[in-house]
Amino acid sequence: MTHKTQSVAYPYFVVALLLFGLQVVMGLWLGIQYFVTVPQSVVDVFPFATARAMHTNLLVLWLLLGFMGATYYLVPEETGTDIAWPKVAWAQLVILSLTGVIALVGFFFGWTQGKPLLEIPRPLDVLVVIGALMFLANVGMTMFRARRWTAIQGSLLGGLVFLAVMYLFGMPFYRNLAEDWYYWWWVIHLWVEGAWELIAAAMTAFILIKLTGVERKVVEKWLYVELGLFLFTGIAGTGHHYYWLGAPKYWLWVGGIFSALEPLPIALMVWDTWRDVRHRTTPLRPRLTWVYLVGMVVLHFVGAGLFGMAHTLPQVNYYTHGSQVTVSHGHLAFYGAYVLLNLTFFYLAIPRIKGFRDGEYDERSGHLGFWLTSMGVVGMSLAFGVAGVLQSYLERYLGQPYMVAQDPIRFWMAIVAAHGVLVVAGVVVIVKHLLTLRSVTVQAA
Amino acid sequence: MSEKTAKLIFWIGTLSSLVLFLALTVDTTAQFAALTHADRLDEQVVAGKRAFERRNCNDCHTILGFGGYYAPDLTRAYLRLGEDAIKRRLEHPEVAFADSYRKMPQQNLTPAEVADITAFLKWVANIENHDWPPQDSVARWKRSTERMLAAAALSPGAALVEQENCLTCHSVGGRGESKGPRLEWIAGSRDSAWIAEYLADPQKLAPGSEMPDYAHLSPGQRQMIGEFIAAIAAGRGR
Ligand code: HEC
Ligand code: HEC
Ligand code: HEM
Ligand code: HEM
Ligand SMILES: [Fe+2]
Repeated sequence: MTHKTQSVAYPYFVVALLLFGLQVVMGLWLGIQYFVTVPQSVVDVFPFATARAMHTNLLVLWLLLGFMGATYYLVPEETGTDIAWPKVAWAQLVILSLTGVIALVGFFFGWTQGKPLLEIPRPLDVLVVIGALMFLANVGMTMFRARRWTAIQGSLLGGLVFLAVMYLFGMPFYRNLAEDWYYWWWVIHLWVEGAWELIAAAMTAFILIKLTGVERKVVEKWLYVELGLFLFTGIAGTGHHYYWLGAPKYWLWVGGIFSALEPLPIALMVWDTWRDVRHRTTPLRPRLTWVYLVGMVVLHFVGAGLFGMAHTLPQVNYYTHGSQVTVSHGHLAFYGAYVLLNLTFFYLAIPRIKGFRDGEYDERSGHLGFWLTSMGVVGMSLAFGVAGVLQSYLERYLGQPYMVAQDPIRFWMAIVAAHGVLVVAGVVVIVKHLLTLRSVTVQAA
Repeated sequence: MSEKTAKLIFWIGTLSSLVLFLALTVDTTAQFAALTHADRLDEQVVAGKRAFERRNCNDCHTILGFGGYYAPDLTRAYLRLGEDAIKRRLEHPEVAFADSYRKMPQQNLTPAEVADITAFLKWVANIENHDWPPQDSVARWKRSTERMLAAAALSPGAALVEQENCLTCHSVGGRGESKGPRLEWIAGSRDSAWIAEYLADPQKLAPGSEMPDYAHLSPGQRQMIGEFIAAIAAGRGR
């Protein structure tokens, strides 16, 4: 840490981690409902739909809070100045956390916008927008005052503005269902395969410079290429969601071709990391941060690149669309790309914010948490994948009614839940470890 | 590679994709009206969409393949189940799915909400989306069922279905009406004995069902109808 105001990132990390814990518990309950018959009386009060809204909104909320915290940590070091208005950063955290709590309680009582992943009701969207504007103004002002521009900063700010603008397309009420989904994907797809990738690329580049000591010029040059490829493939690649919603047939070509190229920039990111790590000028300490970094780039490529590629061509997607194959990819991609990105950043930043000498701390339970969670998520995604292939075959190909085809799938959903238990256990270990990090030197003393 | 080349790649990549995407968006917007039959998109359909969102149906059910994967896709529910069957399930899910291993909440929808959502599902069912989902494809039903019907047309069960006018409410292949479920869909989950028992007294197996009873037929005749319907089950690829 080079600037005092960077420490405002810490409360963001704390809130994010607590929400992460709640998110996976809710996920486990979703998984259980797939193979256990929940009695009508429970379904009437707390249906799957409500739990799903909570699970997914908690995910998005904590990841965004993590990105914001990371931004507040990163920007002062990049610009060489303090955050413009640290108090505003605090107020923004309070507003966004409050919005999250109201939204969750509201979901329970049936207050929802009713669009998957974007269930937050419109009146609360106003608070979200206020929080976002405070954030962008604060970050923008900090950069403006410093008048020092780096590619990492540009990519980060670009990604954040892109993210905020896209959210607006999810807010109106659309009369036509097809049009509604058309713009829904401007939020969902252009987030995870556009704006968030810019943020991820910036954060990864920053982490690489800090960890490897590799020259900034090299990292930033490749950053431009990565960003260009992400946006080239990702923008028109949105078409891979337009195959079956009532849009013209050319989307089968455009979506198929552009999205098939989407793994390229992710592969480039893997190669960049590998090259920088090989040319590092610093020792691999603490090891845990490296484990996270490598886990992130590898699972980002597998979850988003490979699992995404597997069902992105229209010939395949005709059968897998809207099945558990999608869920399999959704979990591994989100985990590899954005959950691990945030956790890696937390492990980089928290020891520095707390000012540990040499950045050293007791790593042991951190490793346990990483492996439990990662094995859990990989196993879960494979089980979702088997369930999904089975569903595509029985329901889509053979033409069995949905509930008939679900029956044999319930076994695989039990396997999903079993891995879910590992994930929950691992997340509890990670959260506890990160929130109670202590310097080794202090311990010895 | 120099930094200048890298920057060039960034701008050319981003802008070319963006221009293509926005151009296609303009064209798609212009075509939506025809592809979704927007002329039939009246105020009741819109009210149905609002109710569908207010009740968060979409976090259990997919529609057009998007949403929760916990319950049947609703894109073609209207063509698969028919008007009256949908209404009964919306009014009394706790009765309709009493024996099922997976439940749908009783949300006490108002009669207006039930009517609006049904109108909404009817409109959605006719969106032209390159014939997705395959399991509900009317084109495939037509082809495969017509083949099977040709072979079974001389069966006494088929004759009874014609004679008793089942197709004034049900559909099969390319024929019939959408008040009750498609015969192919029924065949997918019911056996002949169950169908025969159902025909004698639908209220016993499906309380509140809009289906008339066929107690005037003999048990043998009901069994023949059951065998005919069960035989058109999908299962060999559509
Ligand atoms: C908690 C999850 C849940 C919610 C919320 C829910 N449903 Fe369902 N729904 C189900 C399940 C599960 C089934 C299938 C039960 C069975 O067939 O055994 C079902 C079946 C149906 C069916 C019959 C489909 C078929 O092919 O058999 C229709 C139509 C339907 N629901 C419409 C709706 C509408 C409209 C709403 C919102 C008002 C809604 N559902 C809300 C879970 C849900
Ligand atoms: C007046 C309209 C009407 C006529 C005529 C009619 N049905 Fe039905 N049928 C329905 C409706 C509506 C349902 C859906 C009941 C429900 O589950 O809500 C149904 C349900 C059924 C079911 C049970 C579906 C299931 O899996 O739950 C069978 C089997 C069936 N009909 C067979 C027949 C046969 C065979 C005939 C002719 C002999 C016939 N129906 C005539 C309206 C009709
Ligand atoms: C790292 C942690 C997790 C992440 C990033 C995550 C992410 C997600 C996402 C993105 C969705 C929406 C999926 C889609 O629409 O395709 C989802 C839904 C779901 N998640 Fe998770 N999740 C996590 C943990 C868990 C756990 C531990 C379980 C437990 C088994 C679980 C079970 C589910 C289930 C059953 C659904 C519903 C899918 C459906 O509609 O059928 N998740 N999760
Ligand atoms: C980090 C990046 C990514 C994340 C977090 C992610 C996440 C998701 C999620 C959550 C969904 C389900 C949305 C829903 O319907 O509810 C989805 C769908 C999809 N993703 Fe990704 N994705 C990523 C990258 C990719 C890439 C690179 C590809 C292609 C190469 C891809 C291909 C697809 C396809 C084809 C679908 C549609 C599935 C269907 O038809 O149901 N994704 N993604
Ligand atoms: Fe996508």
